[in-house]
Amino acid sequence: MNTNAPTTSGNAPVPDPVLRSPGDNTPHGESTWPRVLTVRGLTKTYGAGDTTVDAVRAVDLDLAAGEVLLVMGPSGSGKTTLLLMLGALLRPSAGSITVTSRDGVDVDIAAAREKELPVLRSRTFGFIFQDYALLDALTATENIAVAANLAGTTGPAAHERARELLERVGLAHRAAARSSQMSGGEQQRVAVARALANDPPVLLADEPTANLDASRGRDLARLLRQLADEDHRSIVIVSHDDRLREIADRVLWLEDGQFRHVAALAVDPVCRMQVEPNGPHASWRGEQWWFCSDACRRAFVTQPERFTPKPASN
Amino acid sequence: MGRRFLFADRRRATLTVLGVAASLLLVLVLGGIFAGAVDRVTYYIRTSPADVSVSQDGVRTMHMSASSLPADTPERVADIPGVAWAAPIAFASGSVAGPRGRQLSYLIGYDTRTGRGGPTRLVAGRTPAAGEAVLDEQAAKQLGVQVGDQFTIMGTSLRAVGFSTGGSSITNTTVFVELSEFARIHDDRVSYVLTGLDPGADPEAVTDRIEAEVGGVTAQTREQFADSEARIVTDMSADLLRLMSSIGLVIALAVIALGLMTATLNRLRDFAVLKALGARTPRLAAAVAMQVLLTVVLASTVATTAALALAWLLPLAAPAVQISITTAAVAQTTTTALLVGLIAALWPLRRIAALDAATAFRETR
Repeated sequence: MNTNAPTTSGNAPVPDPVLRSPGDNTPHGESTWPRVLTVRGLTKTYGAGDTTVDAVRAVDLDLAAGEVLLVMGPSGSGKTTLLLMLGALLRPSAGSITVTSRDGVDVDIAAAREKELPVLRSRTFGFIFQDYALLDALTATENIAVAANLAGTTGPAAHERARELLERVGLAHRAAARSSQMSGGEQQRVAVARALANDPPVLLADEPTANLDASRGRDLARLLRQLADEDHRSIVIVSHDDRLREIADRVLWLEDGQFRHVAALAVDPVCRMQVEPNGPHASWRGEQWWFCSDACRRAFVTQPERFTPKPASN
Repeated sequence: MGRRFLFADRRRATLTVLGVAASLLLVLVLGGIFAGAVDRVTYYIRTSPADVSVSQDGVRTMHMSASSLPADTPERVADIPGVAWAAPIAFASGSVAGPRGRQLSYLIGYDTRTGRGGPTRLVAGRTPAAGEAVLDEQAAKQLGVQVGDQFTIMGTSLRAVGFSTGGSSITNTTVFVELSEFARIHDDRVSYVLTGLDPGADPEAVTDRIEAEVGGVTAQTREQFADSEARIVTDMSADLLRLMSSIGLVIALAVIALGLMTATLNRLRDFAVLKALGARTPRLAAAVAMQVLLTVVLASTVATTAALALAWLLPLAAPAVQISITTAAVAQTTTTALLVGLIAALWPLRRIAALDAATAFRETR
């Protein structure tokens, strides 16, 4: 299920058998896991008249239980807007978001009343933030217990739940620590535990590895994968971090508010970041090479041999 | 959560609590000085043996009043059913002088044979005879008068033979003499008639009976007389006291508002995160209200402790000043501060209510 996406060089977007098409409704291939999230025609428009901006345009998406979906795309492509709408934090301008709760009830978040949203959020979604967003006035245990409180679990039961989750993320020994006393990796693990406090069917993660070094980023990625596999919990990750492709069942590229076919993805040969084909480019050896920035393009044209594999000799 | 939010920044929390405590201390001490003044002014009436006091018609106080009754009034009052005894006192105001200075003083003449209307408690010496007087011990100390010394009251030289207590206030002191000595110093008037009642007699009924049967007099129970006396102080000082208390409370409002505003602004992201996690605004409002409650309770505790310490220390330096800190005053000040604190919380609450949960994702620390 979890296959590494091979890095492709800039000029030749190579179709990746693991990465599926936008809106692919069978993320697990032959998997029979039920859908937990169904999005249809999701649109978010800001402004009016001449200043209208479509941040997300008629997006369709299905998410199966236990699936890890990675949404990538350039800055301003609408990733965060999409995540906010999926998490019932932002009202869409059009479309529907149907989420299936743990007890099998379908709820259309887009049509839910405003006062129903807090309960929906606390019971249906677990949020993982880029900067962890732990409350520094509280201990690790209390941060998790507060989230449990918000869904109705209070007192010793909430603290017991917090202890279980800290144990699960390997931080039982840091139960009494505050965020200022923890490393970034520990904080993000506590944040993951907090996201699990109410056993939500869906986790929504916004750049969860952005503030972590490579090693801790990998650890967190493994943890997320483990949560999806063991709990059949669905995870939507919005990120620029290419490393997360390793754990994703599916990668979608969001650009200008729409999913584009992942086969169009390419990797900058200089910095190894994913790029869009409409950016800076250069021709070499009769091929077109794409770059994330002009700086990378200049670096490439100065010494193209340094950044490209040598042609195979016969 | 409110508690944790409040104490997350201990320095700010301490400053806020101390700031509010200082303003509450101002309110408590001002009220305490006022209550102390009332206590002192009404001390003679509250501690006298009289169940009912009779004065000239329309005169309801001793201070700032002149009451003059016919000489036979005590006998006529004594004849009223329910009255056990009636004792005249003479009352005038003037000045008392000793080696170290001069003070305003009330002069009270009383029947030394019965002792009714005389000093409530003698802390030194004995009951005065002709040419003698009892001074309040605080005034005696300030005037430099010892037992056995000569001093002057309303231009007449008397010998101090005893010291009483509780008769000095910020404005004046009290000197007690025998009735005949009062007549020699001032005149032979009867100012008030102190009246004791038969066991089981209803004071209200007796006052009505005295006013109806004696005529030309005003009769009041001990409580009515003390209340009327206290009202003089209240009427004179109420506006000033109210102004100073209002200033104290406005300072408390400003300190709480500033503290809460800073604390809330610093925690807007936390509140947004909590909203994103599913917290409703009332729950977050409760966290803010808890911060107000804790701030006020802590500040009130600090202020009350400081006020009690001042109430103990200040009279050592200024014996005429009495600070009376009562449970009722503390409760009232704390309740008012709590209301003020909740008013101060309105702005942070508005910010929190308007806070978009989505900012939890958009903003970073």
